[in-house]
Amino acid sequence: MHRRSLLQGAALALAASRLAAPYLALAQGNARTLRFVPQGNLATLDPVWSTTTIARNHGLLVYDTLFGLGRDFQAKPQMAQAHEVSADGLTHTITLRPELYFHDGEQVRARDCIASIVRWSKRDVLGQRLAALLQEMRAPADDRLEIVLKQPWPGLPWALGKPSANICAIMPERIAATDPFTQITDPVGSGPFRFRRAEWVPGSLAAYERHVHYVPRDEPADFLAGGKAVNFDRIEWRVMPDPATAAAALQANEVDWWETPLADLLPVLRRSDEIAVEVVNTAGALGMLRFNHLHPPFDNPAIRRAVLPVIDQRAFMQAALGEDQALWTVPAGVFTPGTPLANEAGLEVLTGPRDPEAAKRALAAAGYRNQKVVILAPSDFPTLNALTEVAADALRRIGMNVDLQAMDWGTLVQRRAKKEPPEQGGWNAFCTTWEGLDVAVPGSHQPLRGNGPEGWIGWATSPKREALREAWFAAPDQAAEKRIAEEMQMLVWEEAPFIPLGLLRPPQAYRSSLTDLVTGGPPLFWGVKRG
Amino acid sequence: MFAYVVRRILATIPVMAIVALFVFSLLYIAPGDPAAVIAGDQATPQDVERIRASLGLDRPFLVRFGEWVFRILQGDLGVSIFTNLPVTTMIQQRLEPTFSLMILTLCLAVTIAVPMGVVAAWKQGTLIDRAVMGFAVMGFSVPVFVVGYLLAYVFALELDWLPVQGYTAFSNGLWPWLENLILPAIALGGVYIALIARITRATMLEVLQQDYIRTARAKGAGQRSILFLHALKNAAVPIVTVIGIGVALLIGGAVVTESVFAIPGLGRLTVDAILRRDYPVIQGVILLFSFIYVIVNLAIDLMYTLFDPRIRY
Repeated sequence: MHRRSLLQGAALALAASRLAAPYLALAQGNARTLRFVPQGNLATLDPVWSTTTIARNHGLLVYDTLFGLGRDFQAKPQMAQAHEVSADGLTHTITLRPELYFHDGEQVRARDCIASIVRWSKRDVLGQRLAALLQEMRAPADDRLEIVLKQPWPGLPWALGKPSANICAIMPERIAATDPFTQITDPVGSGPFRFRRAEWVPGSLAAYERHVHYVPRDEPADFLAGGKAVNFDRIEWRVMPDPATAAAALQANEVDWWETPLADLLPVLRRSDEIAVEVVNTAGALGMLRFNHLHPPFDNPAIRRAVLPVIDQRAFMQAALGEDQALWTVPAGVFTPGTPLANEAGLEVLTGPRDPEAAKRALAAAGYRNQKVVILAPSDFPTLNALTEVAADALRRIGMNVDLQAMDWGTLVQRRAKKEPPEQGGWNAFCTTWEGLDVAVPGSHQPLRGNGPEGWIGWATSPKREALREAWFAAPDQAAEKRIAEEMQMLVWEEAPFIPLGLLRPPQAYRSSLTDLVTGGPPLFWGVKRG
Repeated sequence: MFAYVVRRILATIPVMAIVALFVFSLLYIAPGDPAAVIAGDQATPQDVERIRASLGLDRPFLVRFGEWVFRILQGDLGVSIFTNLPVTTMIQQRLEPTFSLMILTLCLAVTIAVPMGVVAAWKQGTLIDRAVMGFAVMGFSVPVFVVGYLLAYVFALELDWLPVQGYTAFSNGLWPWLENLILPAIALGGVYIALIARITRATMLEVLQQDYIRTARAKGAGQRSILFLHALKNAAVPIVTVIGIGVALLIGGAVVTESVFAIPGLGRLTVDAILRRDYPVIQGVILLFSFIYVIVNLAIDLMYTLFDPRIRY
């Protein structure tokens, strides 16, 4: 064969293959498909079994909830058409909307909701609260369920509608019967999108299609409440582990929306007229320095307290997200700034002039004897690593004997669960972030708890904080909640179970053609449309 | 020959057994706990323990290893701790992109590197030789991800000729498939081209000094005939050996390349699994890579007989 005819043949073959590939046009140009780069890999499909943010975000697409939080962080009926509370506050009667269907075509019944609540109540911190207070749950009719409590709990709708992990995802009874410590295999929900399991390639692609039988509430979208009107037929989550690749894909219009652009790449993205860089998750994430209360030196509250004067929240935020103050909020107290319970009680411990010398004196007075302080640093999480580096530097500056140990996140989560002393593989401190919606109220604020070895990593013991938490559950109104929140914050400055480092509000980047994104918290796929 | 092939294939069994034991032991003693990763931030130690128990991670080493080996003998690589999908399914999903990338890179590298090496040897000491060797040094020195970023910037972002990322299955057409792989293959092929070109040049230089080359010249054979028919065939054994060794290089490079170009291949599957401590997936993928490597080496050994008839098994 002559070279020229070979080349001609090859060119024809390529042209023919292009004509024979409508897929490409479909993948890159379909206006009805929203291409989204999530913060990480969707590895699990069960938002009750897993507490990862990404599983929760998946859950909000696929599952609906009985209540949803509005922009004002108040719970509003979502699957519920009506919600009545008996005069004694013990019985909550929830009537379901008539037009609720699961993705398999079955109607949502009250017993599906009960089975889902039971499963959720074994995993979620507020669910466990419900389990402790529960007298009985019953379904007097297919569209009505009654939750009877042993004592009043006004926060029940909030718990059932909160978007923080674990969400109370409503699934069919047959699926909800799965042991809560075993992952479900059938992702059937009644949310606005149906998961395309056959197309799922973990680590690369998760696809969703519009749930054709989904009927949104006849109201405008209001964060997780209101009408979840869907304007796309298909949502594709395209996992891109490399930030530079995601940025380039967004610039080249190969994707529409990138959830977690790297701070270093923001200037490049901002230069493009076709890309918007905005804070979508306004609730953000609260950074914190967590102490291990089981071992010296941080088993001593005076030593934990001594660290406060050297904590400069601004330095932490700058290290994590740069100079742009729109991306972070300081000062930040114990509760998420901007939410109803955020307050300024005693906040001057973090806002006054920073005084390392005072910290040194307090440390000496507290009896610090140069014990090694093992700090765990997740080298594969740039933001957390930055917070950790600043924390280590702060502790060194007040004379602490810091041993900063770098490791990957997988190792860190195992290591921090160890209760042994640091010299036997344990630890003394680490930095983390908590979703703003999690730490907006005492009920789901795990670092605030004081339930000792049964509690969250760090194992702080504080009967006073536990008592205040109980009081919050019974608080009759928001004014009472706020008073309790202020007391709790004052107690945190005294006992220092953790130190807040500021509220991070990293922006998201998306094609300017997208409009009406629902802001407030996690990425939501209703409301948003292509302009 | 047939007996040799059978012997070699049987010899893979103990090799795979040793790899299996090694991989399992390594993961057992490595830090990290998938149960803690699954449980997440809100979990209490009791929750983590319950998840660990439900995954069977609390059982003794020998019990777990025995069960794993028993399943492997039945062709079952287990189920991913996180996705709940069979490991074989996850590997099947990723095989095509990785093999496509490796095969295209291999073809590209051999097509470019062998003539480069031959020409460099022929023109030894000239500017062409220095340029080829300069390219080889650069190929070794510049990391794959840097080449990848540069290529994506120039050809995808600036010129808009090719996509930045992704993979399209071959069944969707030749061009869509090729379009997504050209840049990754060039990026990954850099080191490989450098390696093969250097070995080809060195081997050709040695062969070109041989008496039979002088004889061929004396007989009036043309330069092309001398280089590609007489010399290259006799230089082929070390070149083929290097190509075989380079497969390991490709597997390692694929991890980075797949990340840079967001290709859903085995390399990324491995990295994701390691970061999450998804033991069944890690074990399955490493076993597969080991098997591929053993088979490639066997194929290389058999190819020697094609290039050198004196070699007999």
